[in-house]
Amino acid sequence: MDAKCNLITLKNITKFFPGTIANDHIDMELANGEVLALFGENGAGKTTLMSILYGLYQPDEGEIFIKREPVKIRSPHDAMEYGIGMIHQHFTLVPVHTVVENIILGTEKASLKYLNIEEKVKKIEKIGNKYGLEVDPFAIIRQLPVGMQQRVEILKALYRDARILIMDEPTSVLTSQETEKLFNFIRDFKTKGHSVIFISHKLNEVMEIADRITVLRDGKVVGNVFRQEASESQLTHLMIGRDLIIPKINDRVHPKPEILKIENLTIMGDRKSKAIDDLSFTVREGEIFGIAGVSGNGQEELAQALCGLRKAKSGQITLSDKDITNKDVLSIIDQGVGYIPADRHKEGLVLDMSIEENLFLKNYSNPSFLHYGFLNQNKIQKNARNLMRDFEIKAASSTSRAMTLSGGNQQKVVVAREINIGTKLLVAVQPTRGLDLGAVDYVHKTLLKEKKEGKAILLISTEFSEIMTLSDRIGVMYRGKLLKIVQRKDAKVDEIGLLMAGITEGKKNKKN
Amino acid sequence: MNKIDSRIEQSSISQDNNTWFNFMPVFSVLLGLLMSGLMMLLLGYNPLIVYTNMLSYAFRDIYNIADIFAKATPLILTGLAFGFAFRASLFNIGAQGQFYIGAVMAVACALKLGSLPSYLTLIICFIMSLIGGSLWAAFIGYVKARFNANEFLVSMMLTYVAIAIMNFLLVGFLKESKGEYPQTDVIPKNGWLPSLIPHTRLHWGFVLALLIALLFYIILWRTSLGYKIRMVGFNRDAARYAGINVENVFVIVFFISGAFAGMAGFTEVNGMQHMLIEGFNPIIGAEGIGIAILGNAHPLGIVLSALLFGALKVGGNLVLQTSRIPASIIGITEGLVILSVILSYYIRDKLIILRSKKKLVAQERHKL
Repeated sequence: MDAKCNLITLKNITKFFPGTIANDHIDMELANGEVLALFGENGAGKTTLMSILYGLYQPDEGEIFIKREPVKIRSPHDAMEYGIGMIHQHFTLVPVHTVVENIILGTEKASLKYLNIEEKVKKIEKIGNKYGLEVDPFAIIRQLPVGMQQRVEILKALYRDARILIMDEPTSVLTSQETEKLFNFIRDFKTKGHSVIFISHKLNEVMEIADRITVLRDGKVVGNVFRQEASESQLTHLMIGRDLIIPKINDRVHPKPEILKIENLTIMGDRKSKAIDDLSFTVREGEIFGIAGVSGNGQEELAQALCGLRKAKSGQITLSDKDITNKDVLSIIDQGVGYIPADRHKEGLVLDMSIEENLFLKNYSNPSFLHYGFLNQNKIQKNARNLMRDFEIKAASSTSRAMTLSGGNQQKVVVAREINIGTKLLVAVQPTRGLDLGAVDYVHKTLLKEKKEGKAILLISTEFSEIMTLSDRIGVMYRGKLLKIVQRKDAKVDEIGLLMAGITEGKKNKKN
Repeated sequence: MNKIDSRIEQSSISQDNNTWFNFMPVFSVLLGLLMSGLMMLLLGYNPLIVYTNMLSYAFRDIYNIADIFAKATPLILTGLAFGFAFRASLFNIGAQGQFYIGAVMAVACALKLGSLPSYLTLIICFIMSLIGGSLWAAFIGYVKARFNANEFLVSMMLTYVAIAIMNFLLVGFLKESKGEYPQTDVIPKNGWLPSLIPHTRLHWGFVLALLIALLFYIILWRTSLGYKIRMVGFNRDAARYAGINVENVFVIVFFISGAFAGMAGFTEVNGMQHMLIEGFNPIIGAEGIGIAILGNAHPLGIVLSALLFGALKVGGNLVLQTSRIPASIIGITEGLVILSVILSYYIRDKLIILRSKKKLVAQERHKL
């Protein structure tokens, strides 16, 4: 028998979500002793595909074969029976329990029999020794560093005899040393004849750890290459896809005044490390400044600091010559800064409130809507009617709840409100995430129109094509720094793709 | 413009067939009565006779009808207290304690102020009970905001503290002059809330409760403070992002909620009991929770639910006095009514979500 026989085969897997096809007739194979990387942009369908394999979702079409036998995986429990374990991007541990309690959770049948913890501990230690994953079994999860918590997640899967590990963006929370340790484990795991599916959008990691790379884009498989035959620029091309048609812009000769000026800004992240590191740039009137980059490189923190939701450690943010560093949210809103947040359900909208109330959301302290602390209902309704007309928000009525709207119309509500508030600057974070093509087009046109009318727009997006079609200047963000700022007409797709992976010209040459 | 209007008209049709959902609480109240009727059958009583008696007793004469409203008065207020915090996604289950603090303040003022004009005594009692209840509750909001303490636990535990304080005062500072029982003297007449209908127990406190229900509505749906409170209730992240100081809102909400519960102490002492007895009205806070949930935390719903509970109490008490049916049957009926209403809200939400999902999927299929 061929040692590298097909372990898992996915055939024609298709999954619909409201508004999109997350997976569009996907074929994929995994061999014994192989590390397969699923590579693609955010929203390409990688996680959905693996959730289907792990039994979290049921495919709408298609089949799964394990060792050439067709199988139905109805739940993660089924998946574990087939030896499949998944390490989620967000851990599924009980923070106040010990390591051993977390690992055995769900493996014991409920009974009155004495639970022999010592026995379990021995088994865990044995697995730990075998794979070099030592961890104190009686440590409380909450007190462990993130890298160790991930180790517990892996042990959890191995304790259940996983022979195939699915890892969803496992390095996104790790430091570089922790990442190195994880990679050592993966190599070791592989030599023992097991397989790993490694979901990532980070080019350098994929090139380092994978044997074979399957590239997904818009829910389809667009490439399947062995690492030896793959090149970084080829993968970038596959990931970003469509040869971008970059519309011509007439460069204005006379420089417009600077609206937003950021000087030597440093912001601490949630994990006490520098999320933004000594950053400086400016955005001018009537300009879209695009920040490209893989998510988790400080974009979120930068946007939060600009809107007053996060404190800067040092440096200065200036808006039209006014210092707005570490001002509170309300006074920044009053200065004319609109903010389209990345997650419209979590931050941008109150889904249980009416469209009217959502369009009014940031005006609750605006005196023109108030009369001695009482809401001016006429004004609120008029404001809603105008915005719904101007932004073509389709709804049953202005009093229907925001949750009854389609995703595109929900985003229109957010965009309408923020454009209305952001008279000087608009910060747009992933403004088209999860929208269908028509809605994407609408948001793009709206941003371009606002730019024409003289607003300064800071566009932060992990979607490269979005950055390329909209921006006048592009900055590539990597680990809290802008590696390079280029005019769009001078931007080269390959170069920016590599910069997003942290590979600068100098570094690349050194490597070769 | 025309185009949009026609689109709005088109899609508004689909909204209308949701209206029957609004009647679900009524159905489920009936279902609750049916279930407790079955319980009575098991106990060997004919539920039809019990219910008929209850109804005929409750509405026998003006005195009993007025008593329904009198009994509903403090229930409206504790219901509003829970409902107000609930609108901010906060749980004030300590209305009982705030009610006791309000009652202690009211009785202390009425007893110790001496012979002031009646209206002045009443105003002072009212304000002091309000302040007592609101400060007592604001502490819950403060520890929630400052230390992220669980408001459930804090509000419940503070109730025991309030009971202890009340009991302590009833054997000391406020003890009756006879010195026999842990209770106060009857407060002087100038501290009595005037009755609304002569020769009944119904007093002006009921009108006050209705005004407070109206105030509840105005604050939440007509002021910018209420808008902030509801935003915090629905989505705390969005509230933060819109620049709302969520922690401040916690304190304000508990302050107002406690004021409502404290007022219930005022209406009970000055309007109904005219004295304070150890351990009186021991489940008024818990009933308020049920009433607020029954009324979907809406002031109109709360008033109606409190009246339903008032009628159950008046009719039930008289049934108990005239037959051998166990007293607990009234509590069981109340419980089953609340339970079936809660279930109906749950089922209604599920149905709405299911329906809109189906619609969405159908639309998307169509589009693809």
